[in-house]
Amino acid sequence: MPIIEVTNVSKQFRLGQLHTVKHTVQEALGWFTGKKVAGPRVFKALDEVSFSIEPGEVVGFIGSNGAGKSTLLKILSGITSPSRGNVEVRGRVAPLIEVGAGLHPELTGRENIFLNASILGVPRKHIEALVDPILDFAEIVPFADTPTKKYSSGMKVRLGFAIATSIDADILIVDEVLAVGDIAFQRKCFDKMEDLIHKQKKTVLLVSHNIRQVQRICQRGILFEHGKVVADGPAETICKAFFEKSDQAIYNQGNNGKANLKSIDGFELLSFTLSDPEGNPTNRIRVNDPLDIRIRYHNHHPLVRPKFGIGVHTSDFLYLTTYDSRNEIELDELQPGEHEAICRIERLPFTPGVYSLRLGVSAGRVENTIFYGENLLNFHVEGEERFRNVAGSEGFILLDATWRQLC
Amino acid sequence: MSLVRSVLEIWKFRELVWTLAWKDIVVRYKQAYMGAAWTILKPVMLMLVFTLMRSFIGIDSGGIPYPVLTFTALIPWVFFQEGVALGVTSVVLNAVLVKKIYFPREVFPLTAVLTKVVEFCVDLFVLAALMAWYGMLPSLQVLWLPALLAYLILTTLAVNLAGAALNVYYRDVSQLLPVAISLVMYASPIIYPLSLVQQTLLVRMAAGTASKALFFLYTMNPLVGIINAFQNILLRDQPPDFAIMWPGALLVFAVLPLSYALFKRMETSFADVI
Repeated sequence: MPIIEVTNVSKQFRLGQLHTVKHTVQEALGWFTGKKVAGPRVFKALDEVSFSIEPGEVVGFIGSNGAGKSTLLKILSGITSPSRGNVEVRGRVAPLIEVGAGLHPELTGRENIFLNASILGVPRKHIEALVDPILDFAEIVPFADTPTKKYSSGMKVRLGFAIATSIDADILIVDEVLAVGDIAFQRKCFDKMEDLIHKQKKTVLLVSHNIRQVQRICQRGILFEHGKVVADGPAETICKAFFEKSDQAIYNQGNNGKANLKSIDGFELLSFTLSDPEGNPTNRIRVNDPLDIRIRYHNHHPLVRPKFGIGVHTSDFLYLTTYDSRNEIELDELQPGEHEAICRIERLPFTPGVYSLRLGVSAGRVENTIFYGENLLNFHVEGEERFRNVAGSEGFILLDATWRQLC
Repeated sequence: MSLVRSVLEIWKFRELVWTLAWKDIVVRYKQAYMGAAWTILKPVMLMLVFTLMRSFIGIDSGGIPYPVLTFTALIPWVFFQEGVALGVTSVVLNAVLVKKIYFPREVFPLTAVLTKVVEFCVDLFVLAALMAWYGMLPSLQVLWLPALLAYLILTTLAVNLAGAALNVYYRDVSQLLPVAISLVMYASPIIYPLSLVQQTLLVRMAAGTASKALFFLYTMNPLVGIINAFQNILLRDQPPDFAIMWPGALLVFAVLPLSYALFKRMETSFADVI
């Protein structure tokens, strides 16, 4: 029997202030004059969501911000109720939503353990036994009797995590909390989670933007988009689907945000495009394929020794590489008019993902920048998943290398 | 039926109520130099003011020292007034918890009232000291006290539950209610004894034929019966006067389930609105 069953659940929020006197008066007037007043606008946080989870399953909820993941977790933990549909939860739920939210600043660490454990429904006589292990795990034994308002933020988060994971619940709901504390404590949290999952066979629902974490911890993934479940299956497959979608989102976003644009009178960038060696325009390039970058421009004045430089950066402006035309284009003077320059990349060495281009043009006997722009053009590098780069943790550059076993 | 189930659910969460009440009390006085002494300040101050006032206007206190009489009235009154003020804001004040975790939300207004029980007990000690000063001794009628306190708690909850729920949606409630409640003070026998009202309306028939109806209306205020009963059992060696208490009790027991039902109805969307 499933431990969680969600059937056709929808959740609506009304946007804006619920009711003000003004609105009520307008409504009343409208009633007399026959004019309709626009009701509050409605936002659908969840739209006909259905799935079920078996005991012991570890499920990752993924999706971009505002996809409805947190709303769903709130419904599952009973904090709020769905507008329509039915939710069946068979077991005790321990929410780890934003750990530390329940700590009272005036109470000591020890007192807070009692308070929070009671809130999570632990009988008082069981709490006594929990106190020391919790203090120990959170590494705050010397500060057990200090009010938590004097704790560092790391101490608070550690205490919150330690309390929430010590509760003997059937279902653990984890919302973006493994990124707490310093690296050493994160490691500890991770071990604790693995222990809960593998040894204690808890059902765990994990919401995280760290997809690698989802891939690592979860067996199953559910992908949300605009309040709907768009994919449900093995974590690997779902994470891949999510990467493709978020790449697309970055790509679409990037095309209208040109950063740091600087251009001097007389130089006009007509077009800046990518194409394959046959000249067909493209924005999707396979790993290790050749690529042409074409620059068409119009100069209204003669250009003395023009130089072009292109660069590749990530969507968060980490400069990966630059290459300029020094020694390759040598023109003493370029007459006014429309011209075109091309930069051929023989082998694109980037890991799959979305990248951006920047361009700089300089000219003059004393070199002077006459054009500079970043984020001018986005392109998609596609390729084998084994090259997939997760949030930069694998680096961005592919090595032209091979492994061999020697003996 | 579902109300019965809800009440049973609260029983399951009784430990949480105790813990939250303990937390509220600890937190209230932790960073205060005078600590729990603040508890008695309010009724004692009011008593002193009323006693001073009485020296100008002359109120017949029926053979009981006026400070004792008015302080006895102030004990349930301050409980009610502060219980309501705290209870109505209780859900909103705990917004952090409401948004993060589920348990029956009536835990908050309930806790608010229970924390006031502690202060109620402290006030009783002050009264005992005051009575000792005047050489008065309570009689066995004092055994009524727990039952009266329970009734007082229910009365406070009848206002609290609906008030707390409405306050989540309309913060106006927490502005309005304390003002309204402090007006009720004048409609309760605190500054003056009930006998004065009885004298005016029932004996002298000051409002003519409407006098009886007016007196009935007056006793609809449950605090009238409660305060009078407190004075009866503690000072006058008499049992509570049920003839005066029943209209108020009727009101309380009619409103309380409605108030609770309203709370449970609104509870489901607290987390969305708060």
